[in-house]
Amino acid sequence: MNIRPARIDDLMGMQACNLQNLPENYTMRYYLYHALTWPQLSYVAEDHKGRIVGYILAKMEEDIGTEDEPHGHVTSISVLRSYRRLGLAKRLMVQSQEAMATIYRASYVSLHVRKSNRAALSLYKDTLGFTVKDIEKKYYADGEDAVR
Amino acid sequence: MAPSGIPPKRALPSKESTLFKELLNLYESRQLKKGLKTADQILKKFPEHGETVCMKGLILTHMGRREEGIDLVKKGVRLDLTSHIVWHVFGLIQKGEKNYEEALKSYTQALKFDKENMNILRDAAHLQTQLRLFDGLVDTRHTLLKLRPNLRQNWIGLAVAYHLNGSIDEAKKVLEHYESTLKNIPDYDVEHSEVLLYHIRLLEDLGLYQEAVSLLDVNAKSRAIIDRTAIMEYRARLLTKLGEHDEAEQTWHALIEQNPDSYEYFRGYFSNRSIDLDNITKETRLKAVESLREFSSQLPRAAAPRRLALDVAVGDEFKALAEPYLFSGLDKGIPSLFADIKALYRDDEKQHAIASIVEALRERLSSQPQSNSSESEPPTTYLWTLYFLAQHYSHISDHQRALQLLDLALEHTPTLPELLMYKARVLKRLGDPFGAARSMDEARVLDLQDRFLNTKCAKYRLRAGLEEEAQEVLGLFTKKDASSPAADLEDMQSLLFLTEDADAQKRNGAYGLALKKYHAVQKVFNEVEDDQYDFHGYSLRRFTLNIYLNLIPWEDHLRSHPAYIHTAIAAAQIYIELHDDPSLATKASSSSHLSEAEKKAKKKAKKAAQKSQEEAKKAATQAASTNEDKGLEPTAPKDDDPTGTKLLEHAGALDRAWKLLSPLVTLAEDNIDAQLVIYDVAVRRSKYLQAAKALKQAKSLDADHPELHLRLVDFRQRVSSLPQIPPEPIGSVVKGAIAELIPDEVSLETYNSQYVQRHSTSGKAVLASGKVLQKLNTPIAEVESALFGALNPEVVLDIPTAIDVLELLKNVKSERAEEFRNACDVKFVSSTVFKSPKELAEMRLKAFATAAGEEEQTKPEEAS
Repeated sequence: MNIRPARIDDLMGMQACNLQNLPENYTMRYYLYHALTWPQLSYVAEDHKGRIVGYILAKMEEDIGTEDEPHGHVTSISVLRSYRRLGLAKRLMVQSQEAMATIYRASYVSLHVRKSNRAALSLYKDTLGFTVKDIEKKYYADGEDAVR
Repeated sequence: MAPSGIPPKRALPSKESTLFKELLNLYESRQLKKGLKTADQILKKFPEHGETVCMKGLILTHMGRREEGIDLVKKGVRLDLTSHIVWHVFGLIQKGEKNYEEALKSYTQALKFDKENMNILRDAAHLQTQLRLFDGLVDTRHTLLKLRPNLRQNWIGLAVAYHLNGSIDEAKKVLEHYESTLKNIPDYDVEHSEVLLYHIRLLEDLGLYQEAVSLLDVNAKSRAIIDRTAIMEYRARLLTKLGEHDEAEQTWHALIEQNPDSYEYFRGYFSNRSIDLDNITKETRLKAVESLREFSSQLPRAAAPRRLALDVAVGDEFKALAEPYLFSGLDKGIPSLFADIKALYRDDEKQHAIASIVEALRERLSSQPQSNSSESEPPTTYLWTLYFLAQHYSHISDHQRALQLLDLALEHTPTLPELLMYKARVLKRLGDPFGAARSMDEARVLDLQDRFLNTKCAKYRLRAGLEEEAQEVLGLFTKKDASSPAADLEDMQSLLFLTEDADAQKRNGAYGLALKKYHAVQKVFNEVEDDQYDFHGYSLRRFTLNIYLNLIPWEDHLRSHPAYIHTAIAAAQIYIELHDDPSLATKASSSSHLSEAEKKAKKKAKKAAQKSQEEAKKAATQAASTNEDKGLEPTAPKDDDPTGTKLLEHAGALDRAWKLLSPLVTLAEDNIDAQLVIYDVAVRRSKYLQAAKALKQAKSLDADHPELHLRLVDFRQRVSSLPQIPPEPIGSVVKGAIAELIPDEVSLETYNSQYVQRHSTSGKAVLASGKVLQKLNTPIAEVESALFGALNPEVVLDIPTAIDVLELLKNVKSERAEEFRNACDVKFVSSTVFKSPKELAEMRLKAFATAAGEEEQTKPEEAS
């Protein structure tokens, strides 16, 4: 699958991919906000027909404390079930992180994941090398905790 | 603030004058409650003070007391027609209503009385951008720059305005001037980096490649441009264009090393070496394969060069490359392997090679005793091989073989959702929507945490017309506090759901509900169009110009999105039916004929309306006591037409259709279905020129298209039966167009029989000619015998066309409709769509009877 920086005309495909895959969804406005604020940080994976089969929607954390270093945040990452086992999530993450580091001098990347989402937790921890910082209580709209 | 020479009715004594200034400040900081008090204080003494009346109205609108507020704003405007404040306020209200044209008029009025008001000028610029009034935008940006040349974004604003207006050269000049005034740029300044990249983009657009490279190199070296990927992409592209191939090659190489999965980088690398990967020739093939092999060994983890090599290589070389590619995919159990290589099937030789490689593997594995020696393949390889072959056979239309292989695989591993998902797909292709839905449900139950499976299952249920059951399953993942699963999916702008649901309702004959959903899709596109508004200002502040300049043309072409085109066509088709047969609407809207689904929808909507009314009440009581800002956008009015009855009304049906279709005239020029339905609506609205134009366009796309044939006859028939030819000059243009489209020396009957003779093996042509016969008032027996021609063995008839033939027979009240249905039931062995209503009812029940108990046990909230 082709992996490249996300363009404006990818956003609707990313939204469709997200809605098909994940319970955390956003309106187009939020995708536009990401793209028009940090145009270099989001990436997509597309198939031969140009359909978006995976994406990473990423940003820089804006309100950081005085002691905290600039860091990136993954708003959403997912790959369609039928395109798993190709290592796409990892490839997308690597590209995005590289851009965060070179352009915005990010020293690390954070993300939230549902406490109950074992599959995602294992992807982040085992495949992508994330570590658990803390548990954010009731982060999700339905009251579930998030692992950060 | 106010210019000198204040008219007496506006002048306030110093106490009130101070209060008014305070009022403006309180509004700016959104201290609404205090602001309201202050306004009332002034109004106590000066109830006719227009500016204060307007400000009070504005504040009330923000507090959610919209009607009252807007009335006051209008009153305030009338009280003081020469105040810039009242017009500004009025403009804000109109902008909140997304009435951009009127808002701009108000802003222009305001600027008459305060020419140099920065806020008003800026807002006017955003409105001009939204309305694509670029000449005016350039003027406004000029004024802003003159007023505040020290503001960086004012320079950029002017450059962007020129760019949008098509004056790239002027944009470049402004930018150069701007850069020459800059001092003390901090290191690692993303904003400056973006501006420089924009400058380079302008130079590239102007064809000044050498200048572009120089600017790029200087600023990359000094670290003024910090986006490394962009630097390399520009550099590689520019150097290629300049013919500096060696240097370009190095840069392409570096890009590939950084992202070895980008097809664009490989394309660029090869095009720099005069090799077009999409048009490989005898001369370039060898070189390309060799290079790609090299890349593959240098970059062992990259998939792109291996896959690209399969595009390029032929013959034995292809086989040698394909074998390890396929084996490795099957060993790893990559579900997308077939989807990945399917594009190669355009080449017959490659298709055969792939099939024989995988078939050979299957034979080897099936005869291999499982489990023993260490060198044998893992047992899952066999499974994925069966899965791959099932896809292969279904793709070449051997669906039965596909099903056999899937059953074999399911015996081996009954718990792999992919197998059941694909089985569902094969059943769907065979015309068994209920079986397909059931199989997808079985897949879903195997992994209840996976929304992907859930979405697929819902989609298949909708395809089978199981609308409510689809909503049920969707509800396992939608927000619990939404009024219904459908409401959440609509809020989240799920085009997939809205489209599939609307199509399902349409197939079920629930036209009102279908139209509701089709219009909901339209609403999503309106929202996305409105979304750009805030970015006209935001992008300048954040200096993200490059992507912003891509946003604007993208928004202009938004409605070329397949979901828009599909739904606009489908909705227009309903409107045309309603127009042609107004009794459909009365039938559908009289409550005794409401379908179960519609009754449910009504109930649901009633509940939701109650809820929102209660909320509104609560909000109103709260509003009086809190500062909460409700903004200037009107809240969505409550839905007083939950079943879409109003949309079914005959009056205005064609206008509603045209509103949906008009963007397609230019945005779907190459879509014949769009052009045909544009014709249908245009001709019924007596827009004969538009109708002729659409047919001409359709003819240029596919002169022999069956549905076009039908329209050509329709057009000549309609125009020749007009009591009067349209007035000149239209009359002769239309006549000329018809003569061009369809020869006038032959009768329509002959024209029709010639057409069907030319396409005697096409089921769709048979259907179209049958429709034409009916149109020409041919005796029913002849129409019937023509349509039964579709069943001749040499005619290629697919299931959707057969369904349409059956529908047509039913419409003309043919006594042979049942005979045709039975014949189709025999012809399409595995299909269920031609079963009798009784049999269908039974199948419907079975489609989702699986594992209902299991669901209860596994809490779906666990899913993520």
